[in-house]
Amino acid sequence: MLLQINFKSGKPVYLQVVDQIKAAAASGAVQSGEPLPSIRPLAEELRVNRNTIAKAYTELENQGIIETLPGKGCFVKPNNSPLKKEVRRKLLTEEIDHVIVQAHHLQVPPDEFLNLVRERQAAMQERQNSHDKGL
Amino acid sequence: MNNTTPAIEIKDLVYTYGRSDAVHGLNLTVPAGGCYGLFGRNGAGKTTTMKCLLNLLRPRSGIVRLFGMDPAKQEVEVKRRLAYVPDYVAFYPWMSVRETLDYLASFRAHWNRDTERGLLDRFQLDQRQQTSTLSKGQKTQVALVAAICPEPDLLLLDEPTSGLDPIVRREFIETVIGAYQESDPGNRTILVSTHLISEFEGLIDEFTIMNKGREVLTLGADQARDRYQKIRARFATNAPETTFPGALRQRRNARELEIIANGGGPEILDQLRRLSPESLTTEALTLEEVFIATLQ
Repeated sequence: MLLQINFKSGKPVYLQVVDQIKAAAASGAVQSGEPLPSIRPLAEELRVNRNTIAKAYTELENQGIIETLPGKGCFVKPNNSPLKKEVRRKLLTEEIDHVIVQAHHLQVPPDEFLNLVRERQAAMQERQNSHDKGL
Repeated sequence: MNNTTPAIEIKDLVYTYGRSDAVHGLNLTVPAGGCYGLFGRNGAGKTTTMKCLLNLLRPRSGIVRLFGMDPAKQEVEVKRRLAYVPDYVAFYPWMSVRETLDYLASFRAHWNRDTERGLLDRFQLDQRQQTSTLSKGQKTQVALVAAICPEPDLLLLDEPTSGLDPIVRREFIETVIGAYQESDPGNRTILVSTHLISEFEGLIDEFTIMNKGREVLTLGADQARDRYQKIRARFATNAPETTFPGALRQRRNARELEIIANGGGPEILDQLRRLSPESLTTEALTLEEVFIATLQ
């Protein structure tokens, strides 16, 4: 898993780290139980403040993506959200609404939009499969 | 340590050299545990501000506090807790690197020998070498070692990487991130003055842009990148000659339009969408671009 910070994206740096680690966990680039780089080397590598990485890891822990084992470091958790199903659905609904608004403004009609979602899901599945085979 | 006491507090600071103002009514608050950037062109008053913090210059008026203390009245107590790396480093030329570090360590209550060993290895410094024969980069490295080993609460860096080659600059910043923030990062505060802004971009939590001794802009780094946007639109025909309220600057070239937005990005985007452009892109300004856009 190689992270990359883009200051031109306008997204807070810690959220870029959060999103990239979530994407890596979803695609299988990092598997559950695998350790994440510790804060110092990752901060040095990305040349960002350690507080930024610490904030990202705290956020990932709050979201139930990783866990910190004292003295051992941070590890990716099995995909097992601590949140209730309706809460999880609600969080996802908010994200979907946002994308639907975007689709409207970008003049992507509903059918095409749904096809695009399926395409992206297939692409993610493919990445997962290739990571599984690599093990 | 009480984290609510800012590491640095400056109120209405005025300093004059002869008849010309160097710092004119500066306000600045650096919270403990963060990395704060002081950006300005040459002569903006950054070094003068640093020297007032170090009690090397006495302000004409205004208040300067470090950890809630007055550096003129509690100089020893303040200096125990900080370290300073200037842009031009001078050591006693007859001393070796080893003697220089021992000499500097003798003024400190605490000195981390492990950190020292690690950094000397990393920088490949020969401890027997006389400081007069060190290159500019090596002198800065020795100064950085001397600043980090006492593990101070505050690290003052005044144009620390100017005049250094890119590799030394890189190592310098990685060392600040790695070795300095190693223990107790919540209480390790950095104030860095620089015009090499892009190098420190990832490190900076908050910054102040100074011009002619005055504060021009103070903002969090993430907020700045959110607020300042470069919007580009391309049209099928000539770009419309609309003016966009909230645009800091706009350029037009035939079918293309480029707008620098300060805050009003979403409104400008809406306005542009209604003009049906062929393409529309936005990107955040880097801190260096924010600096330039602010001072131009």
